[in-house]
Amino acid sequence: MSLKRIIQTIATVIQNAYIPAIFAGGIYQGFLKRACTPILNCWGCPLALFSCPMGALQHFIGLGLIPFYTVGFFGTVGMLVGRMTCGWICPFGFFQDLLYKIRSFKAELPKPFSYFKYVVLIGVAGVIAYLTAEPWFCKLCPDGSLIAGIPLVLADRTGDLRALVGWHYYMKISILLAIIVLSVAMKRFFCRTFCPVGAIYSIFNRFSLLKLQIDDKRCIRCESCQTKCPMHVPIYRSPSNIDCIRCLDCVKVCPTNAIKHKVR
Amino acid sequence: MPSNTKYGRATLISALFVGGGQIYSRRYWAGLVFACLFYGSIGLMLVIWTGVNEAFWGLIAAWILVWLYNVYDAFKGANYHKPPCEKSCPAGISPWIYINLIAADNDEKYPHVPFFGTLEHICPAPCEDECTRRGIDSAVAIKYLKRCVSMEEPPTIERKRKEKIAIIGAGPCGLSAAYSLSNKGYDITVYEREEKPGGILTTLIPSFRLPDAMLNEEIENMLRERVELKCGIEVGKDTEFEDILREYDAVFVAIGAWKATTLGIPGEENALSGFDVLRKIKEGKTFKLGRVGVIGGGNTAIDVARSLLRQGNEVSIYYRRRIMDMPAEHEDRIEAQEEGIEIVQLTTPLEIHKDRVTMTKTECLEGRAGAVGLVKGSEYEVEIDALVITAGQWPESSFLKDHLKTDKRGRIVTKNGKTSHPKVFAGGDAVLGSATVAHAVGQGLAVADRIDAHLRKVPGFIYNILRRDFLPAIKLIPMRKAQRIEIPHRKIEERIKDFAEVELDASNEDLRNEACRCLTCPLKFRP
Ligand SMILES: Cc1cc2nc3c(=O)[nH]c(=O)nc-3n(C[C@H](O)[C@H](O)[C@H](O)COP(=O)(O)OP(=O)(O)OC[C@H]3O[C@@H](n4cnc5c(N)ncnc54)[C@H](O)[C@@H]3O)c2cc1C
Ligand code: SF4
Ligand code: SF4
Repeated sequence: MSLKRIIQTIATVIQNAYIPAIFAGGIYQGFLKRACTPILNCWGCPLALFSCPMGALQHFIGLGLIPFYTVGFFGTVGMLVGRMTCGWICPFGFFQDLLYKIRSFKAELPKPFSYFKYVVLIGVAGVIAYLTAEPWFCKLCPDGSLIAGIPLVLADRTGDLRALVGWHYYMKISILLAIIVLSVAMKRFFCRTFCPVGAIYSIFNRFSLLKLQIDDKRCIRCESCQTKCPMHVPIYRSPSNIDCIRCLDCVKVCPTNAIKHKVR
Repeated sequence: MPSNTKYGRATLISALFVGGGQIYSRRYWAGLVFACLFYGSIGLMLVIWTGVNEAFWGLIAAWILVWLYNVYDAFKGANYHKPPCEKSCPAGISPWIYINLIAADNDEKYPHVPFFGTLEHICPAPCEDECTRRGIDSAVAIKYLKRCVSMEEPPTIERKRKEKIAIIGAGPCGLSAAYSLSNKGYDITVYEREEKPGGILTTLIPSFRLPDAMLNEEIENMLRERVELKCGIEVGKDTEFEDILREYDAVFVAIGAWKATTLGIPGEENALSGFDVLRKIKEGKTFKLGRVGVIGGGNTAIDVARSLLRQGNEVSIYYRRRIMDMPAEHEDRIEAQEEGIEIVQLTTPLEIHKDRVTMTKTECLEGRAGAVGLVKGSEYEVEIDALVITAGQWPESSFLKDHLKTDKRGRIVTKNGKTSHPKVFAGGDAVLGSATVAHAVGQGLAVADRIDAHLRKVPGFIYNILRRDFLPAIKLIPMRKAQRIEIPHRKIEERIKDFAEVELDASNEDLRNEACRCLTCPLKFRP
């Protein structure tokens, strides 16, 4: 197992490590929940220790406040490492990586889909959340359905939650189902098309401290890096691509060592 | 084919039990995940069911998506990202697959590709220019390895379709299309102007590059009892194109590029044409000319020069650009220089006399790539006994003018193989101008699919969706630190005396080792 996989596993466990929930039910609401994890991980998961920055952002937007705390938080992480957290510690990204490993018929995602995540960010998590004062992205988020919605409803002992299941819950399940299937067929389908956290970090890819650099004299344009890339980024052409998640797999795989990562 | 029925069964099983077909084709993870997704979500919904509402239809849509993907996956099987070698092959061959068959000692056979042996001898190998192994030491000898690939015999055919198709021109493009279409069960008639099929390969390319025996056997093997071959009939002269249009359901035009261009300089009638020389040599004529100059830098120029050298003449090539700009195949040019052919670069003839030629120097111009200008006052005389001009060819398509759109060079204008006439398709040199055999074969096969789709009235994209590629079990081979194989050549002193092949066989051991140098890119570089 590569270093990346080990860190992904550990990060997934740490972010969702509230063991007592398994016996006691309910969700953790202690001190750590006031902090955000730097990536998409639903705070509603019974095991989750931290809250999700997207949830926090929408919460403030819904209240009509300017979310200084979350914006500053995104800004800091983004300026330091760009989208690196997506590649190394995102549990839902890890889940999609594993799904893509399944040997099956694979397809390529058309490029324009990459820009749809900005529509999600501004439209759903911004405008709609502001107008309705509800966190609409969270209501549709497949990560939320997977690690919060399903386990909570299944483990529900009182029957209160189950009584609430309605069209909204059905919709969440269908979205989750569709996204899982499409991530078997395409590399990180959700990250590339929908993820608003990724959309925010992607803006910083161009300016972040951690950078990738291509040595044009060495590169033979074999595209091994793109094939290996979990986001299918043509890194040899655009080292600060919005979709680059700094997983650094390409650095290892390049036969000519043309890709270098550096901190400027 | 046996593998097809296997996939067919897998598709059926998957349609009935989601994930079943994948398990049947031994892709357990895929089967398990699909089954869990589909039946798991149904189970979940049963547990938490609170009645039908608007979003129930979304759920149905998601289930249909899962089911569809599952069935399509069972039908197509797993696939990989294409490695550079496959992406760059104009003939649509997957080199990494046959290389892996050799390296892993796999008993499976590579599906029959028309003109595979010919490509082994004379393809310029664009795949090797792109090979990933270049980044480590040097490209895998993809082209040379073709000689130890065990290939399937052409499948037996059955006439299951009633449409008749005419193919004009029995060059590599026309014959590949004929082969592919006869596999699909059509009734094929091929019209050819020369006495023998094979186009440029049979008529012009000298046998030290492409052995006659091998070529004839390959064509014979490919066409055996499949098509009706009408040799010695020139369409537009011996028979009219309209009659063919009327008689057949579809027509494929692959007439190649045979109209030589002229230089437009005084005294050109004193020179010989490259095509004539090659054709006569192939027919058995020996030229005893003495000192010969060859004008041009393409395959034809090199072939003419090397053939004349082998008949005891002293040969120089004059090319108007730099040696490195020559469009001829790099390897052949090196071999020609080894054999003692002098290549004079940046030189072009001004006037041709009976016993001498006035040459002038040229210079490369800044800006436009490939543009040259004459250097004033640099004229000089060269004393030679004969001059051969090889100045490029364009298609002779005047007999098609009334029916098809052609450009001013005579090339037929096509889109995805379709011409401006709904029944007529075109490919090969007739469309591209002078290209390569690999392009001709690739277009022949691709257009054959287009014709099939057209006659079945299936839209092209659906036809593509339902196509399935050959993919055996591929093994990842550990990376080896070995240098590229040295392709054995005949000794120079020997080979300039006759027309026998220049490349020799290597031992099986060496070829296996060479195959093991492949990185198996699609497996090594997947996420
Ligand atoms: C000297 C020379 C060397 C070459 N070397 C190489 C090489 O090393 N590697 C490489 O990849 N490529 C090489 N090429 C290019 C390659 O041979 C061509 O690209 C290829 O043969 C094109 O195939 P085709 O089927 O389109 O056309 P052709 O092979 O030209 O076949 C067309 C056929 O149509 C017939 N025909 C034409 N008009 C009519 C008509 N009106 N009625 C009936 N029949 C007709 C012709 O007789 C001919 O048989 C070389 C070409 C030349 C000339
Ligand atoms: S893997 Fe390396 S050599 Fe190949 S395209 Fe990427 S950067 Fe270039
Ligand atoms: S290393 Fe092998 S798979 Fe990769 S480009 Fe070269 S021949 Fe193809």
